[in-house]
Amino acid sequence: MSPVSVVGVSHLTAPVEIRERFAFTPAEAEAVLGGLRAGSEVEEAVLLSTCNRTEVYVCPGGNERVQDAAERVLSDKAGEVVGGTKQYLYRHDGEASVRHLYRVAGGLASLILGEAEIQGQVKDAYELAGGNPATPPLAGPVLHRLFQSALSAGGRIRSTTPIGEGAASVASVAVELARKIFGSLEGRQVMILGAGTTAELVVEALRRDGIRGLVVSNRTYERASELASRLSGHAVHFDEMPFELAKTDILIASTAAPHPLVTRDGFRHAREGSPSRPLLILDLAIPRDVEPEVGHEANVFLYNVDDLHEILDDNLLKRRESVPEAEAIVEEYARDFLRWYGSRGVVPVIRSLRQRWDDVRQRELERLWQKLSHASADDRDAVEAFSKQLLNKLLHDPTKRLKQGVGNGRGVEFIDAVRYLHDLEAVEADRSEASGPGDDDEAEVDE
Amino acid sequence: MTHAVALLLYIGSLILWFRSLLSGGRGRGPGIAFGLAAAGVAAHVVALARFTAEYGQLPLNGLAPSLSTVALIIGIGLVATLGLGEGRRVGIVLVPVVILLEVVAVSLGIEPATELLDFQGAWFVFHVTLAFAGLGGLAVAFASGLLYLVQLHELTAKRMGRLFQFTPPLATLDRLGRTGLVAGFITFTLALALGWLWTVSFRQSFDQSNPKVVWAIMCWLIFVVAFGVRVGGGVKERRSALASVVGFSLIVVTYLGLRMVSSQGGFFL
Repeated sequence: MSPVSVVGVSHLTAPVEIRERFAFTPAEAEAVLGGLRAGSEVEEAVLLSTCNRTEVYVCPGGNERVQDAAERVLSDKAGEVVGGTKQYLYRHDGEASVRHLYRVAGGLASLILGEAEIQGQVKDAYELAGGNPATPPLAGPVLHRLFQSALSAGGRIRSTTPIGEGAASVASVAVELARKIFGSLEGRQVMILGAGTTAELVVEALRRDGIRGLVVSNRTYERASELASRLSGHAVHFDEMPFELAKTDILIASTAAPHPLVTRDGFRHAREGSPSRPLLILDLAIPRDVEPEVGHEANVFLYNVDDLHEILDDNLLKRRESVPEAEAIVEEYARDFLRWYGSRGVVPVIRSLRQRWDDVRQRELERLWQKLSHASADDRDAVEAFSKQLLNKLLHDPTKRLKQGVGNGRGVEFIDAVRYLHDLEAVEADRSEASGPGDDDEAEVDE
Repeated sequence: MTHAVALLLYIGSLILWFRSLLSGGRGRGPGIAFGLAAAGVAAHVVALARFTAEYGQLPLNGLAPSLSTVALIIGIGLVATLGLGEGRRVGIVLVPVVILLEVVAVSLGIEPATELLDFQGAWFVFHVTLAFAGLGGLAVAFASGLLYLVQLHELTAKRMGRLFQFTPPLATLDRLGRTGLVAGFITFTLALALGWLWTVSFRQSFDQSNPKVVWAIMCWLIFVVAFGVRVGGGVKERRSALASVVGFSLIVVTYLGLRMVSSQGGFFL
């Protein structure tokens, strides 16, 4: 009895050119999930699609046909892939799939360890599967519980461990440095020297934090103009750069020039009017665009590529050190979920177990009365009572242990064992035929 | 009893500030630490109000009541940073100062002074309250300056550890330090002016060798220097932060020195 399965592709199994073929828009995901539930044994489904992973979570778990159906969703989306899609896909089932989702939500399975964006993406995927009032919810009780619990685990991992601490990309280091120098970035002026991709990413990150004015300067005015229009800034000719420097708060240099473009003398001359205005310089170029001596000027905070990478390495090391702590939280939440899931199944199993052996008892008694036809009514009552008492005694300990198993997180394992050892499938099939659909037992067992 | 409650709240706040520092200021730690400090200030207000009601005088005369009042004013200075976001983290410096002053006051016994002063009534109340407010402003500037220097050091050392994460932005600290200095300078100058006016009006003489007078003039000069260093080029924010830290420390050291050598200790502060 497995709660859930997951089929997916991620940065660990496929390069970006393959991953991007599996990417779903929210509308596509909704349509595909609806189809998945309609045409298969899939009872519940959630599709998570981010730039680093696409995964389909399906219920019930432990069912290969359900997993195949989920895999088809992904393969259909990717289309023709050399060598087939199977080589890039992974499957997890039962406890492994539960732990997998908790690790994903906690950022433990992310390309950048501990990144926070995944929490929002898991939330979006979950809401998409249950959030459209016009269609029946795609996530049912099991996936609702699983995703809510995963979001809670992710939140706790981020708030109680340092896994998300410290910036993990050049862009986020830049934002953090700028915040610690200027406080609010509202209204700050940024200048890009050159037209590197990293510089562009940094500007986008700074823009999310409120910077407004952006100036782009490059030796080739056309390239500056092109980048400026893409980033909603304005381009200036290279010889105007010193004039703009006087008004700049954050300078990002990333040209391919073979020698420094910002020298100490030039810098002093440019900043004559505002010598003590704080200036953050991120020199992302190799060779460097800014003379190191500029960093000794008053209120100038100069960071070159090595400085930034040293900060990043340090932050990532701290994040890695917090993994065991985060894994312990994953384990705690996984145990809780499996306990809950086990409790959902234990009541019907106990009922089936009793019914199974009560049927045996009654059949054996009938056989006995055929042999002992002379037995009086009192004798029959006494034997009947004895047989019931014996059955109760025999089933008491297994029932108790089964409930305890649910309490300590081994419910699923015990339930599977009991169902197998006592051959309960037939009893459950009879009962479901007798009771009809929708009469599911979901009572929880309180220990 | 109420002083003990205030002290406990301040100590609880200090513990949380240090825990927040160890976690790089993540989570709700700084907010709770600030809340506890604010609760401590509220209890402190109640304690001094009860003193006033019980003895029929404001806690401005005598060493222990005065120290407790200065501690309260510094606490109020911290509460005033409520809207400053990360700027509230100056609490990690201000709360220990408050605790130190309050512990000394409580150990001495917060009781009214038995000696009567010539200088009393509204003149005295305004003079002392404004002087204490001036010291409170300088304490806020000291806390901001200290954290400014710490953050500047982290930025120039190119470290982004927990100290960097916890410490507020340079711009916020500079603004807060400047506000503390301006408020402190204005109130302290008014306090000195009131004291001088009273002296020339009622005593017709000005005892320049009085340690209280020497100390007050030194405090005022420190304010002037802390402002003066903001003029000119270079990193004026750094100079101002340094002046606030050195100035406040100098005031405390000089005060302790004067108390040890002065025969007029009973009425000094």
